[in-house]
Amino acid sequence: MSVIMLVSLALAGCSSSSSSEESSSDGKKVIKFMHLWPEGSSNAQFSIVKDIITEYEKEHNVKIETEILNPDQYREKLKVLASSNELPDIGMTWSDGFIKPYVEGNMLAPLDDIVDGDADLKDAFIPGVKESYAVDGKTYGLPLELNISYVFYNKEIFKKYNLEVPKTFSEYKKVVKTLADNGVVPATVGAKDGWPASFWFMYLADRIGGPTILTDVIKGKAKMDDPAIVKAAEEVQNLVDMGGFVKGSSALSNDDAKGYFMNEQAAMFLTATWELPNYTTSPDVKQEFKDKIGYFKFPTYEGGKGTSINSYVGGPGVGLFVAKDSKVQKEAKDFVGYLVKRWGEKSVTDAGVIPATKVDTSKLDLAPMYIEILKDLGEASNVTTYFDTQSSPAVAELHHDLMTALFGKQVTPKEFVKQHAEELAKEQK
Amino acid sequence: MSKVAVEIQKTTLSASYKTSKSLGNKIGYGILYFVLAVIAIIQVYPLVWLFLFSLKTNQEVFGMSPFALPQAPQWGNYAKAWTAGHIDVYFFNSVLYTVAAVVLTVILASFVTFAITRMEWKLSGLVLGLFMAGYMIPLHSTLIPLFNFFKTANMIDNPMSVILSYVAFNLPITIMILSGFYRTIPREIEEAAVVDGCSIHRIFFQITLPMTVPVLSTTVIINMIYNWNEFVFVNTFLSSDKWKTITVGVNNFVGQYLTDWGAIGATLMISIIPVLIAYFILSDRIVEGIAAGSVKG
Amino acid sequence: MRSVMSNKWVISLYILPALILILLLIYIPIVLTGYYGLMDWNGIGKMKFIGLENYIELAKDTKFWQSAWHSLLLGLFSTLSLVGYLILSLILASKIKGANFLRKIYLIPMLLSSVAIGQLWAKIFDPTNGMLNRLLVLVGVENPPLWLADSNIVLFALFIPIVWQYAGFYIIIFYAALKNVPEELIEAAKIDGATPLQIAYKIKVPLIAGVIKVMVILAIVGSLKYFDLIFVLTGGGPNGASEVMASYMYTEAFSKYNFGYGSAIGFGLLIICLVATWLIQKLLNTKDVDY
Repeated sequence: MSVIMLVSLALAGCSSSSSSEESSSDGKKVIKFMHLWPEGSSNAQFSIVKDIITEYEKEHNVKIETEILNPDQYREKLKVLASSNELPDIGMTWSDGFIKPYVEGNMLAPLDDIVDGDADLKDAFIPGVKESYAVDGKTYGLPLELNISYVFYNKEIFKKYNLEVPKTFSEYKKVVKTLADNGVVPATVGAKDGWPASFWFMYLADRIGGPTILTDVIKGKAKMDDPAIVKAAEEVQNLVDMGGFVKGSSALSNDDAKGYFMNEQAAMFLTATWELPNYTTSPDVKQEFKDKIGYFKFPTYEGGKGTSINSYVGGPGVGLFVAKDSKVQKEAKDFVGYLVKRWGEKSVTDAGVIPATKVDTSKLDLAPMYIEILKDLGEASNVTTYFDTQSSPAVAELHHDLMTALFGKQVTPKEFVKQHAEELAKEQK
Repeated sequence: MSKVAVEIQKTTLSASYKTSKSLGNKIGYGILYFVLAVIAIIQVYPLVWLFLFSLKTNQEVFGMSPFALPQAPQWGNYAKAWTAGHIDVYFFNSVLYTVAAVVLTVILASFVTFAITRMEWKLSGLVLGLFMAGYMIPLHSTLIPLFNFFKTANMIDNPMSVILSYVAFNLPITIMILSGFYRTIPREIEEAAVVDGCSIHRIFFQITLPMTVPVLSTTVIINMIYNWNEFVFVNTFLSSDKWKTITVGVNNFVGQYLTDWGAIGATLMISIIPVLIAYFILSDRIVEGIAAGSVKG
Repeated sequence: MRSVMSNKWVISLYILPALILILLLIYIPIVLTGYYGLMDWNGIGKMKFIGLENYIELAKDTKFWQSAWHSLLLGLFSTLSLVGYLILSLILASKIKGANFLRKIYLIPMLLSSVAIGQLWAKIFDPTNGMLNRLLVLVGVENPPLWLADSNIVLFALFIPIVWQYAGFYIIIFYAALKNVPEELIEAAKIDGATPLQIAYKIKVPLIAGVIKVMVILAIVGSLKYFDLIFVLTGGGPNGASEVMASYMYTEAFSKYNFGYGSAIGFGLLIICLVATWLIQKLLNTKDVDY
C-alpha cells in the first residue's frame, strides 16, 4: 500500500515538470505538431517528416514536438481537443466538409500569408487542390497529398481469358461476364467502409451525368434524384447482380477487400494512387506480382454526358493547419511553409506519395507507373473530389451507410437517392 | 429463470449419467472430456492464430486461410515491433499503470464492500446503487467531460489521469463482484470476533480480507485484463510518447492506407505474454487461497 | 455488536475515498452528458441551448429504439449463455482431472484486445475465404450465408464472438464462487447419498445465488452498453442491422459531429440500464442464502 502511495506521489511530481510549456529549458520555442503517420505503419511518411523536422531545427531556434496517432484515433482525439480548445499548434486536416466546422468554430488560422509570401509556393499547388481547404475565400489548410483513382487490374488474368482493357462501359460489362463465368472475381470492393464503394458510384455518375453533377448536388445547384444519378445507382446494382463484385462485399473493409486483389483472386480493384507503392516500390510485395499489375481509366458510358475519360474521381488527402490560438503562430506558419515545400520534393521518391504541389519528373528517378500517372494528372480534364469529403460529416456518414446498403442490395436506387436528397435538403434549408 | 434452465440442462446430462454401470460411466466421462476439449481448442485457437500471423508477411495475412503456416517465418516482425514500436517504453508504462490501478481498485473496493455488506447503516443500499449506476455510462460519453476535467486540473499528459480513470471505472464492477461474494461468506467468525472485543479494523484486515483471497485474485485478474488492453483513455489523456502504453504501440501499425498486420501480430504477442504469465500465477492463487482461506469452525 | 458494526466514522473512512473518486470521474461526466444533451452542438463551435428537443426527438427516433432492441437481444442472449457458463463452471469445480488446466485455457480469449479478436472473426466470417464458410462448403452447403453482410443474421452472427470472448470472465467468477462453498456441506450430502447432480442443483447453486444474481446484472448491463466488437466488425451495419445504442451514440457524436444529440443518446442508454437493473432486481428478488 505504501509503495503505491510513493509511486503516485512520484508520478504526480513528475507531471508538474512536464506540463505544457511554451519554451523548453534552453529557451527555445516549442511547436506542438500532431500527425497521423505512425512510424510503424507509415514509415516512409514518418521518416520524411522526421528528416524535415531535423533539418528545420538545425536552422531555426525552435523545438518541434510530435504526437503521432493512427488516423482513426487521430480523428477522435482532434475532436476532443477541439471541444476544449486545446488544438496542437500544427495538425493535420482533411478538406471541404471536414475542415468547415473547425473554421466556423474559429479554431484555425488563415494560411494565405504563407503562400503569398513565398515565391516557391505561390504557383506550386495543382490548381483546385488548395481551394478545397478554403472557406469564404480564405485558405485554412495547405494540402500535402493528392490522389486520383483508376481501375487497377491483373494483366495476367486478363491475358488468360483473352480480355482487352475496356474503353466503354458495355465493354467493361463483357469483361465482367467473362470473368464471372470462369469463376474469377471480377472486381473486389470494400463496401463495408462505404467510401470504396462510392468510387464506383461516383464514376458512373460522372460518366452518365457529367463531371460536375455530384458537386452541384452537394452545393445545392442540382438535385440528387436527377435521372442520371438514379441510373448510376441502378448500374451499380446491375453490376452486383451480374456477379461483378466479390461476394459479401458489404461486410468487407477496404483492407479485407484488397486482400483478394493482392492474392490474385480478383482481377480488378478500383482504388486510388495511394496504393501505388504496393504495385511499384514496396519491398513487402513480391516483384512478380507487381509486374502483373496495370491500370486503366474508368470507361466511358455510351450516351452519357461525361465524355471525357480524363475526368477523375479523386481528391486531396491530408493538409496542415495552424491553430488560431497557437502561442507560436508565427513560428508554426513558417515551419508549415517549409514542410510543404520539402515534402513536395521528397514525397514521390521517398514515400511513393503524390503531393499536392507540382512535381518536376525530369529531375527524379521514378517507377514508370508514377511518370505515367503524373502525366495523366497534368492532362486531367477534371478531378471530382470524393463525395464524402465534399459533404458535411453527417451527409458523409449517411452516404457511407447507403453505399454499403446499395452494394448489399438492401436499398433500391430510388431509396438511395431519396435518403440523400432528404439529408441534403435538411442542411441546405 | 436460470435455475429452471439449469434443471432442464441437468436432466439431459443426467440421462447420460443414469446408465450407471461402469461402462456407461466411462462413456459419460468420455463424452464430457471430449466436449471440454473441443471448447478448450476453440478458446486457445486465437492465440495460435495470433502467433502464426505475427510471423507472416502482409500479403500472406491477406485472405489466405487463417490456418496456413507462414511461408517463411518473419521474425523480423518482432524486431520491427520492438524498435519502431517503442515497446520498451510502452511496456514499462503498461505495467506501471495496470499494477497501480489494479492495486488501488482492489483495495478501495474491498473497503467499500466490507462497509456496505457487513456494516449496518441506512444508506448502504443507496451507496451500493450509486456504485452500480457508475457501471452504466458508456465510455465515449465520458471522454469530453473527463478531458475537460483533467485539463482544468492540469493533469493532461499525466499518467495519474489514466490511472485514476481506470480505478474509477473499474470500481463499480469490482464492488459488484465482491459484494456477491461477501454475501456467501458466513458471518459467525466476525460476530464471534466482535463479541471477543476486536476492533473493526482488525476484523476487516485479519478475518474478512483473508477469507476473500480467492475472489480478490479473481478481481485482480479481471482488472488487470481491462487495464492492460485499454487504449481510449491513454490516447485521449496522454500526448507525450514517453507516457504511452503497449496498446498504443499496437495501433501504431495501423496506417492511413496500409496496415502492417505482421507487426501488429508481433506486438500483440509481446503484450500478451506478461498478462498470460500473471494470469497463470494468479489463478493458482485462487485454488491456494481457498485452502488457506476457507475457515473450518 | 450493533454499535461496533454501525460506527459512522469507520463507515465513512471506508467508503469515502472510492465514493469521491467516482463522484468526480463518473458522475460529473454523467451530469455533463445529460447537460450536453440539452444543446445543439457539433463538439467544436458554440453550444446552443435547445432544451429537451434532443430528448423528445430521441423518444421518437426509430433508429434509436431499433438499436436499443438490438442491445436488448444481446443482453438476453448473454444471460442465456450464463447457463452454459454455469454448467461448465460446475463441471470444472468438481474434482475432475485437468479442471485447473482447462479453466486457465478458457480465459484466454479475454486476454486479447478487441483489435485482435475483431480481426480474427472478420477473417472467420469472410464469405469466400473464411474458415466458417470453407467448412460449410466442404460438408456440402452450396450457398453458405454471408454472415456479416446479411442484415438478417448479422446480429446473431455477432453474438458468437461476443459470447466467446466473455466466456472466461464468467467462468472464472463462477468457479471461484463454487470453490467457496464449504467442503463439509458437500461431504455431508455425499454421505447422505446425493448424486453429483443433486449436490450441484440443491446445494451449490443456491449457495452462490448472490453471485449469480450479480452476474445477470453485469451480463445485461454490459450488453446494453456494449461497443467494441460490434464497432470493429460491422460499424453497426449493414444499414443499421447491427447497430447498438453505444455504436449509434458514437456515430452521432464523433462521426456526424452531432454531439448534442449523441450525448442525449448516451444519457438515454444510461436511463435504460437503470430501468433494466431495477427490473432485474425485482424479478430475481433477494433470495440470498445466508447462514
